[in-house]
Amino acid sequence: MPKINQTIQETPYFRVLSEDQIERIYSAALDVIQRTGARFYHEEALELFRNSDAVVTDENLVRVPLSLVERAIESHPRKINLTGRTGENRISLDKDTVNFGTGSDLPFTYDRETGERRRTKYQDVLNAGRIVDYLPNLDFFMSHGIVQDSPNTQTYDRHQCLAMLEGCTKPMVLTSVDGEGLEDLWKMCKLFRGDDEKEYRLNPMFITYIEPISPLMNDRSAVEKLLFSAEKGIPCMYTPCPSAGATAPASLAGMIVQSLAETLMASVLTYLKNPGMPLVMGGVTTVLDMLTTTYSYGSPELSLASAANTDVSKWIGLPMFSTGGCTDSKTLDEQAAIESATSLYYAFLSGANLVHDVGYLDSGVNASLESLVMNDEIIGMVKQIGKGINTEDEYMALELIDEIGPGGEFLTSEHTLIHYKEWFQPKLQDRSDYATWVREGQLTMADRIQSETDRILKEHQPAPIDDKQHQELKKIVQDADERHAK
Amino acid sequence: MSEKLGKIADSLLNGNVEEVSKVTQELLDEGTDPEEILQSGLFAGMEVVSKKFKDCEMFIPEVLRSAKAMQGAMEKLRPKLSEASSSQAGTVVTATVQGDLHDIGKNLAGMMMEGSGFNVIDMGIDQKTEDIVNAVKEHKPQILGLSALLTTTMPKMGEVVNALKEAGIRDQVKIMIGGAPVTDDFADEIGADAYAPNASIGTEKALELIKG
Repeated sequence: MPKINQTIQETPYFRVLSEDQIERIYSAALDVIQRTGARFYHEEALELFRNSDAVVTDENLVRVPLSLVERAIESHPRKINLTGRTGENRISLDKDTVNFGTGSDLPFTYDRETGERRRTKYQDVLNAGRIVDYLPNLDFFMSHGIVQDSPNTQTYDRHQCLAMLEGCTKPMVLTSVDGEGLEDLWKMCKLFRGDDEKEYRLNPMFITYIEPISPLMNDRSAVEKLLFSAEKGIPCMYTPCPSAGATAPASLAGMIVQSLAETLMASVLTYLKNPGMPLVMGGVTTVLDMLTTTYSYGSPELSLASAANTDVSKWIGLPMFSTGGCTDSKTLDEQAAIESATSLYYAFLSGANLVHDVGYLDSGVNASLESLVMNDEIIGMVKQIGKGINTEDEYMALELIDEIGPGGEFLTSEHTLIHYKEWFQPKLQDRSDYATWVREGQLTMADRIQSETDRILKEHQPAPIDDKQHQELKKIVQDADERHAK
Repeated sequence: MSEKLGKIADSLLNGNVEEVSKVTQELLDEGTDPEEILQSGLFAGMEVVSKKFKDCEMFIPEVLRSAKAMQGAMEKLRPKLSEASSSQAGTVVTATVQGDLHDIGKNLAGMMMEGSGFNVIDMGIDQKTEDIVNAVKEHKPQILGLSALLTTTMPKMGEVVNALKEAGIRDQVKIMIGGAPVTDDFADEIGADAYAPNASIGTEKALELIKG
């Protein structure tokens, strides 16, 4: 007989904040915006604020009335779709849909030939792209490293974007030098949509990454990017990077309030420029380690505060950019594995839409391709937990238990043949017996990760960019270099 | 009298800002040699702080409270100290270079240096190269501390070094640089004198640079 009064929990359920707590945090953030305000180092931004209900004092300190903040928040879409350059890889930033990806702009890379740490180059970003393009559990690509062999630091972003496009066909999150840089990146990506502005807006390829400077500061280049994104409707994240105890309160709630206020100020500014820009909430909300003064990428507080932030984002109705798969460890060692796995679990369970910084070593300073390969395996495990427990009749298997009976075996049943495929099958983890492990060379996880990375780099090539488009892309990059040549 | 010096050291260790300042003033009023207050009171206390920090018994917030107490006492002491005093060794000018508004690392380094007796003049964020050169001319610091977080603003530190050379005052000041993308190699490349990966090493290196 069918049952009544049933609630099925399809997936595990995790939240940090109650609705009452979220309302308190939101309300407090509105107070910060109205009472404390934020500074904007950009004349057009200040003019937009002056011509609105906001108040500008002390040259560049902006305070905004609540009514304007609330109107601004309502103007952003609740959902964002992104597609890679070939149109095949799609992701959706929809409530509780989790996508994983790399982080951006690591200044150093471990050279795979020499093992030495050196500055990141064009080819490193391209190779990271190829790895991300291949790995099934990475859904979007941030550059991983920052290109430093470009002719000019002021045009690194165009070179970096080209390397990313060459290496990877997945949707992207892009950093840029300033508004002009962002415009070039947008032009580059628009080429893949027939160089049509409206078509591109319908099928964007990237979200632009922009940061305020905590506490409550907005520099010229960040504001340029916000205004350009608003003008063109480019999906954009304004993601504070406060360190609790240094650039934000040491209490996590205070840090979340402050970073929410920082994001909401961007919402107001872009609303005044041109309402409707797709805005992603963010926040690498972590602690300053009080022994080393490192901005920690491996702390449990990062995961806890990010999950709480995600709760707030869902309540507000904005997509969320969260953090996981990263570490303070200098190398890909036990510490890296522990910290990466922990943060990935909680970022996933929280339901954040983009979980970035997968593969970051050394607190956001060192890049390693092997780290990406290791994290892909962890994400596979994490996603398995997300499948939850199905309790329908087929899964309760009462008939089968009765059929096999006491002392029987399930190995040869049709039910096993069907359902074992729903399990997670590790690619790199070793579950063999001791004698087999010895016979096969006593390989460690690090050995297996390295050979898998070698294999991907040797074998995987992303879908090529056609020659004409490639020339057009290079032209945009060269033009930028010429404009900026000294 | 030595009891009071001991009290300064203890209060410094406990981060009791008011007490350190009060006892320093009392000792000065009683006619104690300022150099003795500095050496046997303040430096003695900060030495213990420094050791406890290294041994992970004290953390940054506690160290900074002690540094603040030290700075308060130094303000009273500095005018009374002779030119030859070891505390007169150091004025440090700090700045975040143009285009960069990040300053937490620089501020932290400044506070730690104050805790070691340096007189720190902070120019703030987004400082133009020529303004930094002018500050060096004006304050004649022994050390110039430059900070940049971004790879895009990092080259500005090299620009400052060159501008100091052009102004003919490069030899008058030691330059120390810091920031996440900065390295020893980069310091060599642009002709800076030292690179500090964090605030406490920055303070150690500043003391070394002063000794020459």
